[in-house]
Amino acid sequence: GERCGAMQPPAASPGPAAPEGAELLRWQWQEVQGPCLVAGWILVASLAKIVFHLSRKVTSIVPESCLLILLGLGLGGIVLAVAKKAEYQLEPNMFFLFLLPPIVLDSGYFMPSRLFFDNIGAILTYAVVGTLWNSFTTGAALWGLHRAGLMADPGVEAGLMDFLLFGSLISAVDPVAVLAVFEEVHVNETLFIIVFGESLLNDAVTVVLYKVFNSFVELGPAHIHAMDYVKGVASFFLVSLGGTAVGLLFAFLLALITRFTKRVRIIEPLFVFLLAYVAYLAAEMVSLSSILAVTFCGICCKKYVEANISQKSRTTVKYTMKTLASSSETIIFMFLGISAVDTSKWAWDTALVLGTLFFILLFRAVGVVLQTCMLNRFRLIPLDRIDQVVMSYGGLRGAVAFALVILLDRAKVKAKDYFVATTIVVVFFTVIVQGLTIKPLVTWLKVKRSDHHKPTLNEELHEHAFDHILAAVEDIVGHHGYHYWRDKWEQFDKKYLSQLLMRKSAYRLRDEIWDVYYKLNIRDAISFVDQGGHVLSAAKLALPSMPSRTSMSESSVTNLLRESGSGACLDLQVIDTVRSRRDKEDAAMHHVLRGSLYKPRRRYKASYSRHFISPDKQERQDKEIFRQNMKRRLETFKSTKHNVCSSKSKARLKEKGRKKAIPLPSQKNISLTSDAPNGKTHRNIPWQEAAPVLVMVSSEEEESDSSETEKEDDEGIVFIARATSEVLQGKTTHVLIVPSSASAGSLDVCPSPCIIPPSPTLAEKELPWKGDQADLAVYVSSETTKIVPVDMQKAWNQSISSLESIASPPGIESGPQHRRFACPVLEEQPQSASQAMPEQSSCFQFPSHVSKSGRSQSDSSPDGVEQQELQPLMATEEQGRMLPTTEPRWLMFNRASHL
Amino acid sequence: GSLGAHPPSPLSLPPTVTSEQIEHLHRRFKQLSRDQLTIRKENFDSIPDLEFNPIRGKIIHAFFDKRRNLRQESDGLADEINFEDFLTIMSYFRPIEMNMDEEQLDRFRKEKLKFLFHMYDSDHDGKITLQEYRNVVEELLSGNPHLEKESVRSIADGAMMEAASICVGQMGPDQVYEGITFEDFLKMWQGIDIETKMHVRFLNMETIAHCY
Repeated sequence: GERCGAMQPPAASPGPAAPEGAELLRWQWQEVQGPCLVAGWILVASLAKIVFHLSRKVTSIVPESCLLILLGLGLGGIVLAVAKKAEYQLEPNMFFLFLLPPIVLDSGYFMPSRLFFDNIGAILTYAVVGTLWNSFTTGAALWGLHRAGLMADPGVEAGLMDFLLFGSLISAVDPVAVLAVFEEVHVNETLFIIVFGESLLNDAVTVVLYKVFNSFVELGPAHIHAMDYVKGVASFFLVSLGGTAVGLLFAFLLALITRFTKRVRIIEPLFVFLLAYVAYLAAEMVSLSSILAVTFCGICCKKYVEANISQKSRTTVKYTMKTLASSSETIIFMFLGISAVDTSKWAWDTALVLGTLFFILLFRAVGVVLQTCMLNRFRLIPLDRIDQVVMSYGGLRGAVAFALVILLDRAKVKAKDYFVATTIVVVFFTVIVQGLTIKPLVTWLKVKRSDHHKPTLNEELHEHAFDHILAAVEDIVGHHGYHYWRDKWEQFDKKYLSQLLMRKSAYRLRDEIWDVYYKLNIRDAISFVDQGGHVLSAAKLALPSMPSRTSMSESSVTNLLRESGSGACLDLQVIDTVRSRRDKEDAAMHHVLRGSLYKPRRRYKASYSRHFISPDKQERQDKEIFRQNMKRRLETFKSTKHNVCSSKSKARLKEKGRKKAIPLPSQKNISLTSDAPNGKTHRNIPWQEAAPVLVMVSSEEEESDSSETEKEDDEGIVFIARATSEVLQGKTTHVLIVPSSASAGSLDVCPSPCIIPPSPTLAEKELPWKGDQADLAVYVSSETTKIVPVDMQKAWNQSISSLESIASPPGIESGPQHRRFACPVLEEQPQSASQAMPEQSSCFQFPSHVSKSGRSQSDSSPDGVEQQELQPLMATEEQGRMLPTTEPRWLMFNRASHL
Repeated sequence: GSLGAHPPSPLSLPPTVTSEQIEHLHRRFKQLSRDQLTIRKENFDSIPDLEFNPIRGKIIHAFFDKRRNLRQESDGLADEINFEDFLTIMSYFRPIEMNMDEEQLDRFRKEKLKFLFHMYDSDHDGKITLQEYRNVVEELLSGNPHLEKESVRSIADGAMMEAASICVGQMGPDQVYEGITFEDFLKMWQGIDIETKMHVRFLNMETIAHCY
């Protein structure tokens, strides 16, 4: 109370005028009391959770539910001591209307549905037969105990019906308690799904039995007719099947609605919660099993909803659901503890309490053994003894039982107080004692644990294949078994249901394998970025010093070029003077950022919209992640494969370079910041007149490197600019740029031989003569050196020869064929690889399709976005440039200048 | 190691197969073969349910694989199989038994996996090469007309790379991953309890009401 009072803000609303004149402030506790108490309790519970988890040791031994109950007991004691009466109890209404639905929805929605339906037979058996068995045997045994006169307290006035009623409510395994404990004990998935599924589904049985017996008790044993029993049985089917039907109906509605939320993404999560809750209420309204309704709504809608809603909504749904469920659970357990303090509701009878405890344990065990015995005759994978022990022992009772027992009418059920006390003891015993001991038990029995690993692509593929194989074998032997029907269902789903319930775009891409692939890629990419981040921070990058920062703002090459105004402007000395430390650092920084981050985002616009979240960023990012990731994967694969050759080629190339090139003093990184619009630049420079110029810039590191501790990538660049104008109608310019970068060193930290894929800096990309970006066939195939050195050599030789004989440039470099240089790399790799290593022709390669995609990519207009998404492997132009290298990178700029 | 190096262990039908089950299978066999003594490939085409199975070809193929699945001396594909062969193939799909010890279980598991492996390894060289893998994935995903071939391939490539990283780990400079060997295949399946999954009910249930 005090806490909430403190939170109370000074009253801002005027309120009704007070009689004694205007007030400054008014105490309005009454008005906010309800919500404030709720908020306060949630806050307490959540804070308690934080405290529990401060110590890893405690939570690893004691389940959270136990701690919460104990906390509740403590708080209840305090409240009792302060208020002199028990307050803040677990009200059945509040429990059933507000606390239970989130938990059930959460468990339904995140239920591994395949596993659930694979084991549906066992789950249903345990849920239905098991619960019936438990109820009747426990009730009857207690009644026998009572008849035998063992219950000393005369207050226990109860007949067979009362005991059966009690048996029904006490026998149900509680989903909340089971989940709370089993989530921390990682038993194998089959065992988990059976126990958990049972606890969810047996609610229907419990509630029906409870209602039937309750009505019987209210009728009085004398007035029950045979017809009533029949009704009882009928209502069981009605309630459970009806509840399921309501759930399915709402799942269908929900899926259908989310199909059309494309323009109102922001309320997508709301629909999920709203419809599930409405399903719960609707089922409750017509007294069908609401838990079943929500469970099946969750299980069935998930596939379609997840496909329809956006990634952000998915995350939102997930987190909100988990938050709600977790806080509900917390509150339930805490309030269980608080409620237990209220002794006014208690009436203790030792025999009843002990008897109940004994019987529920005994009959659960017996029931499990008998049912398993029966089930194992049908199950192909028998449940062994250990499983049975865990299943028997895992039968935790919880808040459902407590809420049901509180709901009993004292006027009709005379022994209610005794039942309440017993229920509390049973719940406490099962949650605390069994909850505490189940973990050691599982360890001691060496129960098969589940290894929690993320699905791998191969597993997914194999399992997929597997399903088909099994279905086929069933077809062949002509037995319509489980796989047959599952197969049929999937076909039906694909043909009709998914078409109806999924957005067209979602439906098209919908495939489990693809999903796994997609997720895997993103995960890899993220972890890669994480690693990259570390690498970056590893002091490889000296931040530019202040003075150098200011030194050369306007002396960009563009300007220089414009000033000089001639093709010969590639005055190397000029460029040399332009070079500064800052440039180098900028370039280095750029490469690192480029490699480890994704495409620089547009700055966040300071706009606010309640209804829209900027839509397409995610997609763009996904695409990037795809590309980079696939690149990296390719890298890990091939990075080293052609090292030998490429180093050879490098050597040769260098030799030639020395001959032909005008060697510059070292440290000539051409990192040019072109301030002027490229087009302008282009116009200013009469390239057609340009004399062939070959510039070779090699960095010191590169020269002296050979060690693995190379510095940040440094580009030596060879410019071979030449005019072939005379020859090719004065239109073509070939520029070969060969920056040698040694970037790999910085990434040695990475576990895989992955390398930050450096990209050319803006300057490199937009070299002055690269006028109109759209028309220019500027291709950077750094990959060439790495992967297909042979190919590179060819290209090199071609360009060299073209250099040598200005009059007759090789046709391959002319005109339209330039475009294909984008990925000559990939295109010709198989051949060249087999050339180089013929014996490896059967080895893992990435043959032609990549090249095809690459080519199509290079020609593709920007609207081929979806295609890109679908072709993560293909080398886009950008990727090509970003290719990491341990070797000098060879960038080829070929430009047809018929602009 | 090539698979051919290991002589196939004699496979006996499990004791759980009752004569009734065999009878049922025999009835089915006769139905498929149209009362002939052997089944030919074409006979499988008459099974209507099989029509929609994307990897139908591979599965049927497996039934006729002489050396590897039928455990015969000669290589290549059989033109027709008799009932015994049929049972041999079926026995790959028998469920696990309660009283198996570790060693048996391991062999059991390997047998099943070998069957799968053979399905992937279409050129019998003991390796699933990228091309073979791609073929399988392509077939697998052929049911989805919206997935483009390129993306299907990239999935196969991704899977292959994943396999390489699982099986080889860090690759040496001159190392090339040529394909998934059976040992690698075993590694990849470590997470999945295949022995608890690869089975069909017919071998454990005698009453098959739906059979025609």
